[in-house]
Amino acid sequence: MPYLETKDLCKYFGGLKAVDQVNFSVEKGQLKSIIGPNGAGKTTLFNLLCGLYEPTAGKIFFQGEDITRKKMNRTSQLGITKTFQITHIFPRLSVFENVRISAQSRKTSFNFWRKADALEEINEKTRKILRMVQLLDSQDRPASILSHGERKYLEIGIALAADPKLLLLDEPTAGMSPAETVLAMDLIRDLRDQLNLTILLVEHDMNVVMNISDEVFCLNEGRVLACGTPEAISADASVQKVYLGGTKAC
Amino acid sequence: MATKMKTVKVQTSNRVVWITLLIFLVVPYLVPGNIISTALATEIMISGLFALGFNLLLGYTGILSFGHAAYFGLGCYGCGIAIRDFGLSVWGGLCVSLILGVILAAIVGAIAIKKRGVYFAMISMAIAQMFYFMALSPFKRWTGGEDGLKFIPKLSLSFPFAIDLQSPIPLYYFVYFIVGISILAIWRILNSPFGRLLQAIRENEPRTLASGYNVTLAKFISLVFSGLFSSLAGGLFCIYLGYGPLQTLYWLTSGTILLMTILGGMHTFIGPVVGVGVFLYAQNKFSWILERWELVVGILFVALILIFPEGIVGTIKSKYLARRTASQEVEPVEETVSRH
Repeated sequence: MPYLETKDLCKYFGGLKAVDQVNFSVEKGQLKSIIGPNGAGKTTLFNLLCGLYEPTAGKIFFQGEDITRKKMNRTSQLGITKTFQITHIFPRLSVFENVRISAQSRKTSFNFWRKADALEEINEKTRKILRMVQLLDSQDRPASILSHGERKYLEIGIALAADPKLLLLDEPTAGMSPAETVLAMDLIRDLRDQLNLTILLVEHDMNVVMNISDEVFCLNEGRVLACGTPEAISADASVQKVYLGGTKAC
Repeated sequence: MATKMKTVKVQTSNRVVWITLLIFLVVPYLVPGNIISTALATEIMISGLFALGFNLLLGYTGILSFGHAAYFGLGCYGCGIAIRDFGLSVWGGLCVSLILGVILAAIVGAIAIKKRGVYFAMISMAIAQMFYFMALSPFKRWTGGEDGLKFIPKLSLSFPFAIDLQSPIPLYYFVYFIVGISILAIWRILNSPFGRLLQAIRENEPRTLASGYNVTLAKFISLVFSGLFSSLAGGLFCIYLGYGPLQTLYWLTSGTILLMTILGGMHTFIGPVVGVGVFLYAQNKFSWILERWELVVGILFVALILIFPEGIVGTIKSKYLARRTASQEVEPVEETVSRH
């Protein structure tokens, strides 16, 4: 049984078929990338998987459980956590608190009386994650003063703090310099190997995709174009056509 | 690596809260009555509690309510009617205020908490205006209409010991007791895991949702807490005045509390209380000199917001923090220089 599976998943915005009858699956421990030209429906697909959008039709299964109609906070509790295409952090809170608040979500959310800072187990976990995303030295700073790359790392840290089993990363290297991108790739690979995460990636940077993915999955105009190993995808004629020529232009 | 990790910097230190409580404790004795009368100090404490309750929603959860007069007024009328018509004690009256505030907040929350920004503000304002007009005429028999809630018997406490609430000083310390406990409770709530969750919602709601929190429920509960403390302040206001003015329900009350909160600094814990203090003090002083004191207070407000863009406490705090981080970042440089 696949870890995550979609069956004829559709999402229409009015007449626009953003995601159209998509069937795909992810195996446990896999690092899978979704590629496709702008407007192919990659982010929409992500938002369907994590419960931010409700699908028009079709079903989503995670570990065999039907999660089609579950809202984002429920899927997160089940172990699907995403990072956003446009970085979402808590700007006025300290870097430490950014990760701590997320770690707290697995322990105690509606406790009105205990001191939040005194929950040592959560603090310990927060420090562990900050060390992993290399932000431990900035822990007391407000998140708003971090650089773009650091913010991307911080959001990954926030996502990790929620104990994901399946991590959805929406363009984690967008806007990074080539040097930063290489480091980010190392980080993502480390996460998969050390934490045994299953990772699903939306990425524009072909270098990143071809380098770290176990499998690549190409979308175009809401439909599945091709799926396979990086080598197979880069050799695929239809994918090349979409990326180089464009289907409509011909 | 350092042997022991630095402890996390808490956003506002406990000290600020204790100093505030200490100041209010000594005001009637240390500040001459012609500068701040005991009555004015009492009013500052009551409105301060109202502002803290209001700011729990605005500054911490990031929800603007433009109808907090409803909670304040309902608490005020509820307490007065409970004492006058149902023969309840002062404690009983305050409990009625609390319960009414919670019920109203739960109703408003059930209707409107999923609405965002200005839509929530407008719905809350419409509900508050409904209460105002209900008190003005359909329920005139109980509320006294334009005249306000009158004929409340002379108030005194018999439990735990006899206190005459007619004289200023005992009244002051009775209010101090209730407000003090409330401030500590709000402080505790805001520093609990739940309080931190509220700030996360304010900062980034989608991210909070993606971390697995039930954001709608958290917003709802924060509205209930806010309503609870606001209506408790309303109940205290009734006891302080010995009557319930209709103005407590008027939309201007909602506007004034917003104004005072922003003036003090909505992203700080104690800012709203400072804003209330400055505003009521100015109002009190200028209304002696000028008939149209609103004009002076208006000019003063504009001036203060220009000087303190983040509110009085907010601006002072960020200036202080900026100076401290600057001095921290200089130190290691000096260290490396001295080694050479």
